[in-house]
Amino acid sequence: MNIEPNTAYRDKYAIVGVGNSPLGKVPHMSAIGLVEQACVNALDDAGLRARDIDSLLVRGPDDIYTFHQLIGERLGINANFSTTATNGGASQILSVILAVMAIEAGLCTTVLCGYGRDSWSRTHRSEEARMRSATRSEEMESSEFGPEYGLFGAPAMHGFGARRHMHLYGTTRDQFGAIAVAFREHALRNPEAMMKKPLTLEDYREARMIVEPFGLLDCSLRSDGAGAMIVTTRERAKDLRRRPVLIKGFGTHNNLTGWFADDNMVNTAAGPSSARAYAMAGLGPDDIDCAQIYDCFTYMVMTQIEDYGFCRKGEGGPFVASGALKLDGRLPTNTSGGQLSEAHCEGVLQIVEGVRQLQGIYGNDRQVKDAKTCIVSGHGGNTVCHSTLILGTAT
Amino acid sequence: MSAETQDTYLKPLPRPSAESQPFWDAARDHRLVLQKCRACGKFWFPPSQRCVHCLSGDHDWTEVTGTGRVFSFVTYQRLYHKGWEGEIPYVVAVIELDEGPRLLSNIVGIPADQVTCDLKVRVTFDDVSPGVSLPKFTPA
Repeated sequence: MNIEPNTAYRDKYAIVGVGNSPLGKVPHMSAIGLVEQACVNALDDAGLRARDIDSLLVRGPDDIYTFHQLIGERLGINANFSTTATNGGASQILSVILAVMAIEAGLCTTVLCGYGRDSWSRTHRSEEARMRSATRSEEMESSEFGPEYGLFGAPAMHGFGARRHMHLYGTTRDQFGAIAVAFREHALRNPEAMMKKPLTLEDYREARMIVEPFGLLDCSLRSDGAGAMIVTTRERAKDLRRRPVLIKGFGTHNNLTGWFADDNMVNTAAGPSSARAYAMAGLGPDDIDCAQIYDCFTYMVMTQIEDYGFCRKGEGGPFVASGALKLDGRLPTNTSGGQLSEAHCEGVLQIVEGVRQLQGIYGNDRQVKDAKTCIVSGHGGNTVCHSTLILGTAT
Repeated sequence: MSAETQDTYLKPLPRPSAESQPFWDAARDHRLVLQKCRACGKFWFPPSQRCVHCLSGDHDWTEVTGTGRVFSFVTYQRLYHKGWEGEIPYVVAVIELDEGPRLLSNIVGIPADQVTCDLKVRVTFDDVSPGVSLPKFTPA
């Protein structure tokens, strides 16, 4: 269905503060504690107090019920509008979108959005935790058409798409490797990133294979960590501490018929989602200065960059191999190191990094030069749900 | 064979739902059956109550040719489950049947490094326990 995004939303709302918790291996903090810390840091960044917040759109691990309520309890907030989105890695941008919609509808004025997880600690905190992660619970697994054939873990589902892309377009593993190498270079400039060692294409080739076509370095990290953002109107943003980062456009799309249906694993939901975001923003791919792309696996960056129109479908391999994603490239991407090399917090850190690039807070070693626009993607929910956010500086 | 040396099947078995039970019952008899809509004539998979193309509730479980092609595949080089110990590498594939639907299975009877997208395949049944046979695919 062809629907016209409401361009009246363009530049009307802003992200006025962002924060993150400690990232990586944080065994002394729970998922709730990590999100609480990210929220407090976002409030500090904005120069706001908890009592200024009247809406919570906060999410944590899927097995913690009504996560937003637990955060509200800790922050002492009764919210006019409060919920937890459940679109996997697409949820975090979706929360920012819901924030705009709720403010527009008059339900609230100032929204705290965030997400966090304790995925590293869940598998490493103790011997018991290690055992628990090794023994899979039947309830968490499909009951049929998967486990009986040895289908386990996220790499396989995304790997089907990568293999299909290789088949259709001649894409190579070295081209996936260029993505891992670029993001590692960015991580080395980020003191908070989990990965500290330089990475060469040779290292990438030599890493052990997991589920072909993916090796270890095609896969994102297992991390503890959280991020948070505060959304309000541009008008209200005027008297706050930071230069506001404007929400120029957003879009969503969900291929609910599944990853195996049609050509969804190669032409993903990122296509229609970004088309709506560009239309709302009145911008196209050529107007974008940097990108923060949901990188659960290397291949997912390649396909989203194509779906977002930075190159034609099938040309993502040569595009990334040209060095386009590096800080001085055509499209500096995942400038914090991304989920492959900074920390994997289901896309929330991509929003945080996009905002910081446009706040212009970094030194020359990490700042995208003259960045005025940033596109951010969120992807997940059985790899069929997508959301897109286009941010810009106030001019 | 003594109890100690007897083969034990350590892999997960399918846990059919009321909707998928006819699929597994037929597989046990080495027949691959899918739901075919009586209203629009199309097949669909995985099993559900209504035709996903036209939402008609009227269908027949219909035997299909069992031939198709590899739409995409992955090769497990890491052990995720003890049931596959000694069987690495193994191939999990998305099979596109000639009738249209795509389903997940294994490619057997060919070395893992020779599997390609678009490889023509046909169904073969693996009798993994007295009551359970898994449809798998082998080069046609």
